[in-house]
Amino acid sequence: MNSDDWLRAFAAELHQRRVGADAARHVVAEAATHLREGGGDPWVVFGPPRQYAGVIVESIGTAPGPRPGPVRLHAQGITKRYGRRTVLRDATLTVRAGQIAAVIGANGCGKSTFLRICAGLISPDDGAVTVSGRLGYCPQSGGTADFLLADEHFVLVGAGQGMARGPARRAGRVAARQLGWEAGGDVLARHLSGGTRQKLNLTMSTLSDPDVLLLDEPYQGFDQGTYVNFWDQLSRLRDAGKAIVVVTHLLNQLDRVDTVLDLTPAQPSGWLAPGAQGGHP
Amino acid sequence: MNRLLTVAEMTLRELLRRRGVLLLLLLMPLTFYLIRRDSYLGQSVRSLLLGVGWAVSTAALFATTAARELEPRLRLAGYRPHHLYLGRMLGLWTVGLVVAVPFFLLPMIDGANLRYAGLAAAMLCSVGVAAPFGMLIGALLPRELEGTLLLLTVVTVQMLIDPAGSGAKLTPFWSSREIATWAVDHTDQGYLDRGLLHGLAVTALLVLGVAAVASVRLRRRRHLRHLPVS
Repeated sequence: MNSDDWLRAFAAELHQRRVGADAARHVVAEAATHLREGGGDPWVVFGPPRQYAGVIVESIGTAPGPRPGPVRLHAQGITKRYGRRTVLRDATLTVRAGQIAAVIGANGCGKSTFLRICAGLISPDDGAVTVSGRLGYCPQSGGTADFLLADEHFVLVGAGQGMARGPARRAGRVAARQLGWEAGGDVLARHLSGGTRQKLNLTMSTLSDPDVLLLDEPYQGFDQGTYVNFWDQLSRLRDAGKAIVVVTHLLNQLDRVDTVLDLTPAQPSGWLAPGAQGGHP
Repeated sequence: MNRLLTVAEMTLRELLRRRGVLLLLLLMPLTFYLIRRDSYLGQSVRSLLLGVGWAVSTAALFATTAARELEPRLRLAGYRPHHLYLGRMLGLWTVGLVVAVPFFLLPMIDGANLRYAGLAAAMLCSVGVAAPFGMLIGALLPRELEGTLLLLTVVTVQMLIDPAGSGAKLTPFWSSREIATWAVDHTDQGYLDRGLLHGLAVTALLVLGVAAVASVRLRRRRHLRHLPVS
């Protein structure tokens, strides 16, 4: 990670911790000046971006975060069986506007199934989901058309909302740029790298301006910079009042979310993250 | 209407970019025509029509299978099931007509003494039936291999079955064969009428079948309740 990457990661951490925009800009500019004039590896000079952001937050405090809004997604008592195997048992999750919820758990515990039930793509054996507003869904993989360009994907998704071609293309390119990707090329989706294809997937899910965004491990194949941009974008969407549910197995990101649904069948240590809602009682 | 046309356009773009597959699909009707050309023109033209039907239904099968994961998210993005299946069908019919034109001209260049209006009607029936037929198989069988094998079976049955037998009328491309007989052998009007009626009825049934499967697969689930943004 060079100085620019470090500064980007540092800025994202400050944003994530709700440091005021002006104060964050000032702190990042100071750090950049220090690195430029004094030289040296930022990891040696300041330490990891996350740790240094923590120090800054302790020193200057944070801007008050927006209060969570009304309930946007309420999944109650979701149970799903495949044959004799119960994949989900009585899973419950409530997410409000301006919140990020993480769905965690071991492989095969039903994280993707839960999300697909919330999106209305499959039916549960029991339980109900109430969604307030428009839904957006980003699958773990697939969900794009091999022989279409990125712009054509944006036009296709945009037309669903009655958007004209030009605005749909522009909106798609702007959303892609926030993930560090210039989407306006003439490369077919099948020729995109795995990570870039996921950026297309993610961009498509935000294009229809959903009130509730369901993301199934959308960062597969992302490089470090994109991964930081991804969480940065989630924070922006949260601040804009969106309710976000993200399936993840990366437990080191749980401090970035407001609530956690753990679908692991047994809790050996009884540990649950703050705000955790257990899916298997 | 814009949503339907956008899906049709994207289907068209996708198919026209699969150049390798398209060329191989075009090869089949041509081979069918040429292989029987020396023996009996009627058989040659009927094989050509069957080849066109095979090519278009295979393209429809691939297009439907490829869109399987995309369609649910398009549904979430505001499309209704009929936008998706009718749009795709419209795109496939357009591709089918484009594919049919050179094969309509082929017997003409070959100097065959045919009723060309009949050949055009048979081509239309072939394309009209093939698109929803391939889509229906693609919707029912999720993997391309199974779908292709089923298509192959149907086409083989169609080729080998006695056209005068009652079972032949149950095969999807019987209409184009009947009309082709009228066009090639200059038979009575009954062949044309029966063929057109069969073609229309089979196309309508297949479109309804595609509509039913798509409506079930892309239905709004009962467990999900949508409320307006408060």
